[in-house]
Amino acid sequence: MSDPAGTAIEFVNVHYRIDGNHALISNLNLSIRRGETLMLLGRSGSGKTTTLKLINRLLAPSEGEVRVDGRSTTEWDVIRLRRHIGYSIQEAGLFPHYTVQENVALIPKLEAWEPRRIGSRVQEVLQLVGLPFGQFSSRYPDQLSGGQRQRVGLARALAADPPLLLMDEPFGALDPITRSELQHEFMELQKRLRKTVVFVTHDVAEALMLGDRIALIDSGALKGVFTAAEFLRSDNNIVKPYIDAFHAMQQTLKAGD
Amino acid sequence: MPLFAFFAVDKRQLLTLTGEHLWLVGISMLLAVALGVPLGILLSRRRGLRAVVLGANNIVQTIPSLALFGLLLPVPWLGARADRLAILALTLYALLPVVRNTYVGIAGVDPPVREAAVGMGLTPWQLLWHVELPLASNVIVAGIRTATVITVGVATIAAAIGAGGLGEFIFRGLAMVDNNVILAGAVPAALLALGADLLLGFIQRTLVRTHH
Amino acid sequence: MDRRKFICGVACLLAGCVSKKSALSVGSKNFTEQLVLGELLAQYLGRYTTLPVDKRFYLAGTYICHQALLAGRIDMYVEYTGTALVAVLKEPPSSDHEAVFNSVKNLYARKFGLQVLPSLGFDNTFAMVMRGADARRMQLKTLSDAASVSPQLRLGVGYEFMERADGYKGLVSKYGLKFREAPRVMDLGLLYRALQNNQVDIVAGSNTDGLIAALDLAVLADDRRYFPPYDAVPVVRREMLEKHPEVATALNRLSGRISAEDMRRMNYAVDGEKQDAAAVVKAFLARNAFSSTNFRQPRPVTSP
Repeated sequence: MSDPAGTAIEFVNVHYRIDGNHALISNLNLSIRRGETLMLLGRSGSGKTTTLKLINRLLAPSEGEVRVDGRSTTEWDVIRLRRHIGYSIQEAGLFPHYTVQENVALIPKLEAWEPRRIGSRVQEVLQLVGLPFGQFSSRYPDQLSGGQRQRVGLARALAADPPLLLMDEPFGALDPITRSELQHEFMELQKRLRKTVVFVTHDVAEALMLGDRIALIDSGALKGVFTAAEFLRSDNNIVKPYIDAFHAMQQTLKAGD
Repeated sequence: MPLFAFFAVDKRQLLTLTGEHLWLVGISMLLAVALGVPLGILLSRRRGLRAVVLGANNIVQTIPSLALFGLLLPVPWLGARADRLAILALTLYALLPVVRNTYVGIAGVDPPVREAAVGMGLTPWQLLWHVELPLASNVIVAGIRTATVITVGVATIAAAIGAGGLGEFIFRGLAMVDNNVILAGAVPAALLALGADLLLGFIQRTLVRTHH
Repeated sequence: MDRRKFICGVACLLAGCVSKKSALSVGSKNFTEQLVLGELLAQYLGRYTTLPVDKRFYLAGTYICHQALLAGRIDMYVEYTGTALVAVLKEPPSSDHEAVFNSVKNLYARKFGLQVLPSLGFDNTFAMVMRGADARRMQLKTLSDAASVSPQLRLGVGYEFMERADGYKGLVSKYGLKFREAPRVMDLGLLYRALQNNQVDIVAGSNTDGLIAALDLAVLADDRRYFPPYDAVPVVRREMLEKHPEVATALNRLSGRISAEDMRRMNYAVDGEKQDAAAVVKAFLARNAFSSTNFRQPRPVTSP
């Protein structure tokens, strides 16, 4: 019962509590449109990663419902749900005992794709993320740089061509140059692939650059959903510190010229 | 001179006793691995069992081997056959290193790796087969190696309750007050332990993936 | 996969080791008489049959010998009917030689698949032994005689005697003995020395102890027939007899050929004169003309 033009993911009155009563997420209501890149922006500990994990059911809501393609996450078969969603995390989490090729090919293999199809898909997706197959396919993760590892992580997430993609601060641990490279490549990729992406970040510049919309999370609650322009114009007093910080950064850079 | 004079002992008997020793160690280790690895895997899944299982294993380990043999002798089906009893006792001793190392090895998998694997949609069995066991295999084989060396040693005591093996030379030598006979049991036993350690160390290095 | 090849290799090694058993394996417990009897069987069978014989002596006790027999690590050893009845079969003790032998023979066949052959000819029963001078002075010939003077006597025993159902407890109740103090428990080998050195006055020795002849010692008769018989019988694995029937023939020819006197002398030769057990047995076999072509009639089994 999916809605091709409309809503890919929906949070309906979602609460998430641990240890009995400590609420990490309270009263979350959010709609994510198919094909959009939604940034989850917030400070450390604000609940943005928790929100992300509620989508692929690494966590289950204490109250309320999270719907993916119209069906509650608790109704989905959890394995099918997760295969339906690509997952890319900050540390990449590549399997150290598998080559790049084996890392990327794993899910297609488990999905019982034909070997030839797997082979060509691995080549295709490594190309997408900018890693020439011949050079990289038989390397092990400990033979890659941080940026290369993130690219493989992204390739792995895209391998089975899932319509949805969850990314948890994927570029956070990289140096600024590499980060910028990957951000730009990501934008190019999105223009081509048009996947529904939910992207967690604490970096306001990254949010403004990459996202179609920005959902601001603070202390476990949704404080607003904005486009980049709306965000910069907003008087919301949670938004303001971000804008100030952003402008301050720009000033510092200008002053250094 | 005296140290190698024990070679004068009946070669055929030496071979027989060594064979018996290998049999005791081999069966016990097979059982310990067949039971211990799954048990270790189970412990990595169920937090509640950990204290109980590891605690029980610890208790068995602290019982001196001869005492454990003695405790099991009166048990009806077990006491009737010394080799059965010896194999049970040896398996119990070998279990702790295997179970503990399996559990520790699996629990020691890098958290991001585990999170990525689960988030990608690996079923628990797939997680075990593709991620946890391969990454834990080094530690697991190390546990098997420790267990094997222990078992070779404790198996010498099994002769005291009539299970045969190289310990028989040792006890006979004590009764005869003959050092050569004692050595005829002690030296091969020590060599077996060393050999097992070297062999499993080799396996640990070559069969197990090095990129961790 | 390399792991599987390794396991196959080990299995073959194991199989190889196990199959290198010799044709015959003779076991024995770890005291002198057993060593002598083990040598006897080994040398006799070695000469009478053409099979190679392995000696697996010094097995530390009845349980270990029995286990070794069951597991096939030895093919035979000499057991005593009383020990087999009470310690192995856990049956109540009895004083009837015939009945005990038959019980043991039938139960061993039924429970363990082991064959018990006729007695070698002597009864290694417990003997209550005193210094000859004391026995003569106090005019003691039987254990009943000893009852009244027992408060003056200190008793020395071995470990097994204390623990067994057919040992200390039954003896004391059967004859109404009340010794001066609790019995001194010590290694079998030390009993006679303790007796000689006046540390004890009466010991629970064996009928075939070598020192009984060598020193001036007296055996008090078991007039109330308390001690069960301990006829020395070869216990053999049935599988081995089926494979080598000539062994049964040989062992049957040995039945009744060894008297208690013979045993005491051989025991003394090893314990007292420090001769090598193998040499003592060799001399015995030669002296008594044990050869396959020259056999006297087997002597009947009698209690001493």
